[in-house]
Amino acid sequence: MENSKQFVHKGVVYSITTLLLIPILATFIYSLSSSWGATILPDGFTFKWYSSLLTDPRFLDAFGRSLFICIASLLLATLLVLPMIFVVFYYYPKLDKVMNLLILLPFAVPPVVSSVGLLQLYANSSFQLVGTPWILIGTYFTIALPFMYRAIANSFTAINLKDLIDAAHLLGATTTKAFLLIILPNLKKGLLASLFLSFSFLLGEFVFANILVGTRYETLQIYLYNMRQTSGHFTSALVMTYFAFIFLSTWLASRLTRGNNQ
Amino acid sequence: MSYVKINSLSKRFGDVTVFEDIEFNIEKGEFVTLLGPSGCGKSTLLRTLAGLDKANAGQICVDGVDITNVSPQHREIGMVFQSYALFPNMTVEDNVFFGLKMKGSSKKEAKVNLQKMLTLVELNGKEKFYPHELSGGQRQRVALARALIVKPRILLLDEPLSALDAKIRKNLRQQILDIQKELNLTTIFVTHDQEEAMLMSDRIFLMNKGEIIQQGNPVEIYTKPANEFVASFMGNYNLISGETAKHWFNINTTSPKVAIRPESIYIKEAGRHYADHISSPKSAKIISHQLLGNIIRYNLKVENEVLTVDLLNRSSERLMPKGSEIELLFNLNEIQPVGT
Ligand SMILES: Nc1ncnc2c1ncn2[C@@H]1O[C@H](COP(=O)(O)OP(=O)(O)OP(=O)(O)O)[C@@H](O)[C@H]1O
Ligand SMILES: [Mg+2]
Repeated sequence: MENSKQFVHKGVVYSITTLLLIPILATFIYSLSSSWGATILPDGFTFKWYSSLLTDPRFLDAFGRSLFICIASLLLATLLVLPMIFVVFYYYPKLDKVMNLLILLPFAVPPVVSSVGLLQLYANSSFQLVGTPWILIGTYFTIALPFMYRAIANSFTAINLKDLIDAAHLLGATTTKAFLLIILPNLKKGLLASLFLSFSFLLGEFVFANILVGTRYETLQIYLYNMRQTSGHFTSALVMTYFAFIFLSTWLASRLTRGNNQ
Repeated sequence: MSYVKINSLSKRFGDVTVFEDIEFNIEKGEFVTLLGPSGCGKSTLLRTLAGLDKANAGQICVDGVDITNVSPQHREIGMVFQSYALFPNMTVEDNVFFGLKMKGSSKKEAKVNLQKMLTLVELNGKEKFYPHELSGGQRQRVALARALIVKPRILLLDEPLSALDAKIRKNLRQQILDIQKELNLTTIFVTHDQEEAMLMSDRIFLMNKGEIIQQGNPVEIYTKPANEFVASFMGNYNLISGETAKHWFNINTTSPKVAIRPESIYIKEAGRHYADHISSPKSAKIISHQLLGNIIRYNLKVENEVLTVDLLNRSSERLMPKGSEIELLFNLNEIQPVGT
């Protein structure tokens, strides 16, 4: 009885997983086939789509730009958010509620609307911002903020912040030292998790990139969009590469966050 | 001159006054307990002494030096928190070493010192453990070692035992006392357990609502309660009105209340001889009784008063049933007039 029940459970899980994997698998096979037209099975297999993609300087540039923008905005977010949350939790715990509201604002407005707003706002500014990577970094920073704030704030509530800092003070540590030696190491998990989550989210962002910058600073998603007219095999290879990268970074994230559990 | 001198210390949070004009002195090597009900300001007083909360007025002097405006980093006061506050990302060794590290010492230099401290709190072999891998009692001992290694001038302990079960509590209580005597450490211990305070302290400061109501050694506090609050907080004193006392015991008192300890009332046994000061017989009726192990506690009705009487549980045949009519005798030397 128990066995057959478990059999059913497993069956359901495996069939759903397979179902979800079919499109990915199909894309993968398509990206590997030389041509796949009117037949059930592809005519032959080849790596040429991958090799032409990975040797395309335009792709490598776009990939590099995307990485640069994502990493820069996450760096900016980390440098600003970490000390900010510390100040909120240690000195003004009552502000946490206000922060929670503030942090959600970027999500209250759909990207299409807010990007038009940003265009209006910055189109006539004295220095050129629209069309440069800088406006994208600023925008991505606001998108990453909610993820980062929530995850790190959770880590903060999980530790006994006030007592830990007080204990460190009595043992001779300054507040800065206490933060670096005691608080920061305890936030590592939350920080890493939120960084990887925001990273994969930002890497796939298209609306802001397209409207604010477009082809003037071609990111990965814009490159993918611009390549839609070329061979389907080629775009499949592109999607698969993107997918593999996200998969790799997610796997790394789970490895890193599991590695140092104390 | 006293080692620690507190002069009219006051602390407010906004409009809320936690304590005002607190005064006391502590001698070097003395073990003092702050005893009082929850919320009376014990932790806040400790935190103010440590410099974690800033006093609104008053003065704290240690060894003749005013430290009221010294930062907590430089006060040389150690503290053990009720929540342990161990650094979760560090091993036992690193936790204990932290204070020395802040003073610029290297782990190599501190090795002997570190080992000595871990031996003192009986934690050898646990150096590489993380706090979450330890039991509550072990964590508390790490916290103690961490505070002691920097040789504080005063050790503050904020209810260090209240989260532990009875048996570990007993052991750790003795261990803390042994270490305190060995190092001749001036110690302020916070608890709301009067038994613990009686057992451990050289002196007890009894606090209520931000005031030190009475200070003295355990015997003084227990046998000579200054007022009704102390009497009801220490043990199970019977409190009866001064009028009734005059009547019952033929004494002259102007106090509104008198306190009688439950063990200074006797249930008269036929054929037994009592000393002269044990007299003033009263007839009473047993309302209920509780067996507290070595003690039987009777609740009795005498006229319009309800009294508690404790007897040693010598043999179970003596357990008197509810409703029994008996005669009480009082130890007249132990009747304490108290203020309100
Ligand atoms: N940071 C604070 N802000 C405002 N009020 C506070 C603060 N800390 C303590 N209080 C108030 O001061 C009073 C005394 O608190 P304290 O923590 O010193 O009590 P306690 O005697 O240690 O009690 P317990 O035995 O429960 O630990 C309480 O009424 C509390 O509400
Ligand atoms: Mg307290």
